[in-house]
Amino acid sequence: MDAVQVALILFLIVGFLLVIGTPISVAIGVGSVVAMASILDLDKSLLTSTQRIFTGINTFSLLAIPFFILAGVIMNNGGIAIRLVNCAKVLTGRLPGSLAHTNVVANMLFGSISGSAVASSAAVGGTMAPLQEREGYKREFSAAVNIASAPAGMLIPPSNTLIVYALVSGGTSIAALFMAGYVPGLLWGLGCMVVAYFIAKKHGYKSDQKITFLQGLRVFLDAIPSLLLVVIVIGGIIRGIFTATEGSAIAVVYALLLSFIYRTIKIKDLPKILLDSTRTTAIVIFMIGVSSIMSWVMAFTNIPGMIAATLLSLSENPIMILLIMNLVLLVIGTFMDPTPAVLIFTPIFLPIAMNLGIDPVHFGIIIVFNLCIGTITPPVGPVLFVGSKVANLKIESVVKPLLPFYGITVIILLVVTFYPEISLAIPKLLGLVK
Amino acid sequence: MNFIKQSLDKVLGIFCVALLGFLVILVTWQVFTRFVLNNPSVISEELAKIVFVWLVLFGSAYVFGERGHMAIEFLKDKLPLKIKTMVEIFIEVVIFGFAGFVLVWGGIIATNLTMTQQSAALQVPIGYLYSALPISGVLILFYCLYNIVEIIKKMKSVEA
Amino acid sequence: NDSDSDSDSDSAAGSEANGSETNDDSTNDNANTDVEEKVLKVAFNQPESHPQYKAMEALGEKFAERTNGAYKIEMYPNELLGAQRETIELVQSDTIAMSIVAGSLMENFNPDFTVFNLPYVYDSKDHQMKVLNDEDITGDLFKSTEGQGMLVMGAFHGGIRNVYNNKQPINTPEDLAGLKIRIMESDTNIQMMQLMGGVGTPMGQGEVYTAIQSGVLEGGENNELIYADLNHVEVAGYYSYTQHLMIPDYLIISAELFNGMSEEHQQIFKEELVAAIDLEVKLWDEGVEAAKIRAEEAGGVFNDVDISIFQEAVAPLIKEKVVGETAEELYRKVREAAAN
Ligand code: NA
Ligand code: NA
Repeated sequence: MDAVQVALILFLIVGFLLVIGTPISVAIGVGSVVAMASILDLDKSLLTSTQRIFTGINTFSLLAIPFFILAGVIMNNGGIAIRLVNCAKVLTGRLPGSLAHTNVVANMLFGSISGSAVASSAAVGGTMAPLQEREGYKREFSAAVNIASAPAGMLIPPSNTLIVYALVSGGTSIAALFMAGYVPGLLWGLGCMVVAYFIAKKHGYKSDQKITFLQGLRVFLDAIPSLLLVVIVIGGIIRGIFTATEGSAIAVVYALLLSFIYRTIKIKDLPKILLDSTRTTAIVIFMIGVSSIMSWVMAFTNIPGMIAATLLSLSENPIMILLIMNLVLLVIGTFMDPTPAVLIFTPIFLPIAMNLGIDPVHFGIIIVFNLCIGTITPPVGPVLFVGSKVANLKIESVVKPLLPFYGITVIILLVVTFYPEISLAIPKLLGLVK
Repeated sequence: MNFIKQSLDKVLGIFCVALLGFLVILVTWQVFTRFVLNNPSVISEELAKIVFVWLVLFGSAYVFGERGHMAIEFLKDKLPLKIKTMVEIFIEVVIFGFAGFVLVWGGIIATNLTMTQQSAALQVPIGYLYSALPISGVLILFYCLYNIVEIIKKMKSVEA
Repeated sequence: NDSDSDSDSDSAAGSEANGSETNDDSTNDNANTDVEEKVLKVAFNQPESHPQYKAMEALGEKFAERTNGAYKIEMYPNELLGAQRETIELVQSDTIAMSIVAGSLMENFNPDFTVFNLPYVYDSKDHQMKVLNDEDITGDLFKSTEGQGMLVMGAFHGGIRNVYNNKQPINTPEDLAGLKIRIMESDTNIQMMQLMGGVGTPMGQGEVYTAIQSGVLEGGENNELIYADLNHVEVAGYYSYTQHLMIPDYLIISAELFNGMSEEHQQIFKEELVAAIDLEVKLWDEGVEAAKIRAEEAGGVFNDVDISIFQEAVAPLIKEKVVGETAEELYRKVREAAAN
C-alpha cells in the first residue's frame, strides 16, 4: 500500500463521514485509524491511535484553552465583560462596528500574549458575543470577526509556532522571527477590521448615542477593576511572574474574586459555570487530540512530502513555486495543526525557498501565516470550532460570513509573500537580519 | 436505561467539575510555589497535564451523552425523517466503533503495555494514567446505545 | 528517579520527511534483490544535523549494504513520530523498529539505569563510552527490558550538561543562589540543582525560551548543541561549564524485531552499531565546536568552572540514589573503570 492509497483512504473516509454529519473528531479519528490499519497491524494501529489521543492532549500549553474559556464565562456572568465593553464603546465611539473592532484588538492582545489563537478566540469571543448581540449585531457576523482575527496573535510575538520553526529551520534566530512577525500580524488584524468596517456599515451596526465626557468618565471608572484583570494577567506575564499558560489560570482566579465582590456570582453557581466550560473544552481539545492521530499517519507515510514533491515538480518559475508552496500549505494546513505542519513542511520547503533567495526569517513568517489561515478553515480548524462553539453557532452558519475574511487574509498572505520588507524591515533595523 | 443514564450524567458531571476546579487551583499553586515560596513543585506540571487529559476524556464522554460534539449537519438536516434517522443511527454506530476499537481496545493494550513504566514526576505506573482511555471509552459505548434507543423512540413518536 | 521526555527538545527540529523514496538506487551494485526489503523506522527527537542522526544514517547504509538490501533504515527526526517517551511504547509494541531515547527515561523501566545518569558519575566522555558499551558492565542491564518488549542495543554520547543563565557567569554555588534554572522534571534533578545552589524548575522545553525572556526563569542546563539549536543563547548569554550531568542516549530496538533477525544479521547490526557509536562520538566534538561558535556569534559567553566544588556539593545525592545490590555493583564498576 503506497502513500497515495493511504492518503485516498484517509481523505475519502474523513470527507464522507463529515458530510453525513458525524462528529468532526470521530470522522477524523476513524479515517486516520483505517488509513493506519491499511499499513500496520490492527493492534498496533489501535495502540498508536489511542496513545496519540492521550499524548496529543497531554500538553501543558493547551491548558490555556480551558482556563480562558472559563475566564470568559465568569467574566460574562460576573459583569466584568460588560464593563470592559462599555469602556471600549466610549473609546471607539460611533465608528461602524465598534464592538467588532474591539473584538479584533482584544484578540490581537490576548492572542499575542497567550500565543494561542484558540484560547484567545474562546476568551474574547465568549465574552463579546452576547454583548454584541445586545447591540444588534448578527451573531454570525460577530463570530466570524472573532474567528478571523484570533490567529493574528500567533504572528505577533511571542509565538510558539515561530519557536518551533526556528528550531526546525536549523537555528534561525527566534528574536529575528519575533520581530518579523509584528507587521504581518498587525496587518492581519487591520485587514479584519477593514472588512468588519464595511460589513458593519452596510448593516448599520453603529451606536447613535452621544456620550458626554462625564458619562464617559463614569464608565471608565466603573471599568477600572475589570481593566485590572487585563493589566494583572498581561503585566504578570511580561514581568515574568508567571508563564502565559499559568496567566490564564490567574485570570480565572481574579475574575472569580471580582465576581464574588460584585456579588454577581455565588458559590452555588460555580458547578454550572465549570460544567459549561468543561463541555466546550472537551469538544475542542478532544478534536485536537484525535487530529494528532492524523498528523502521525501523515508523518509516518510521508503524505505531505509526497504531495509537495508532486506539485513542486510542475514548475520552475520562482513565482509559481512560491504560489505552489502557499497553496500546499493552505490546503494541508486546513487539515493539520500548525505545529506538526511546521515540523513536516519546513525541511521540505525551506531549502527550495533559500535557493530562490528567500531569507529564512521571511520564509518562517510565510509558513506560519499560511498555517494560521488553516486554523480558521474547515474541515479541521480549531479556532473555527471554538469560535463557533462559544457563540453557540453551527460551523456551517459561520463559514459564509467568514468568506470575505478568508479573502482578505489570503490577499495579505500574498503581499507578505512577495514583499519581504514587510517582515524583514524591523529585524533589519535592529540588526537581527542582514 | 434512563435511570442509569441520568445517574451517570450526574456522576460524570460532578467528576469533571471537580477536575476543572482542581486544575485551576493546581496551576495557581504552581505559580505560588515558584514565585512566592521559591520552591517549585516537582509534580504540579505533570499532574496538571494528567488531570487535563482526564477532564477532556471524561468530558468528551459526557458530551457524547448529549450528542453535543461538533458536526457539520446541514446536509443531514435536509434529509427526509426516515433516512435522517437511519443516518443518525449509523453515526452512533460509527462512534460506537471508534470508542470500542480505539479507546477501549487500543486503550486496554496501551494500559497493559505501560503498567511497568513509571511516570517521571508522580512515580506511578503510566498504565494507571492511560486507564482513562478505556474507561471513558466504555462510557461512550453506553451513551451510544442509549442514543440509538432514543433516536428510534423519537422517530416512532413522530410517526405516531 | 529522574526522567523526562525531553532530555533535550520537546519540540523538535530540522527534518527530512522527504516523500520521494528512492528505494533501489543506492546499493544496487551488489544487489541480488530477490529478498524483500524490510523498512526499519527509527524515531528521533532532534534535527537531521545532530551527530546521532548522522551516525544512524551511516549505520543504515552499512547495514543495508552488508545484508544485501534486506533492511532499510528510515529515520524520523524532530519528534515526527512522537516525543521520546511515547516512541518507547511504539518500540515495545513493535510498531516502529527503533528509537533513540534519553537515559533518564530508561529509569522508568528499570531503576538500575539511574546509576548512569547521576551527576559527575563519569570523569570524561571517553570514560562514559567505555563503561556503557562494555558488555561485562552493562550487558545484563541492557537485556533487562526484554520482557517489556525492547532491548537496549547501545549507548550514544549525549553531551555534557552545563548551566546557562541570563545574570552572570557561574563559578560557585553562591553564584547560582536564587536563580531559577529549568531542569527535567524529576525529584533527583530538583535536589541536584538545590545542592548546586540554584532553584530547579521543571518546565516543558517548548516554553523555556519565552520563560527566560520574560524572567519566569533565569536559565536552563543542557549541552552546547541544544543551547545553540534552541536559541537559548539569545535570552541567556552566560554558559558555564559545570559539567554536572552526562546522560547517555540509548538506541532501543523492538525485541520482537531483533530476535526475529537471523544470527548473522544480528551480528552485522551489532558490529555496525559499534562503528556508528564511534562515528557519533567523533561527530559530537565537531558539533559542539560548531555550536559554540554559533552561540558566541549570537553573544554567548562561555566560562570554565572548577567543578570540584560542585562535585562535593552533589555527593550526598549520589549516596541517596544508588540503592540496591545491582545498582551498588554497577556504581562500583563505573568508578573502577575511571581509575584505569
Ligand atoms: Na503571540
Ligand atoms: Na482548517
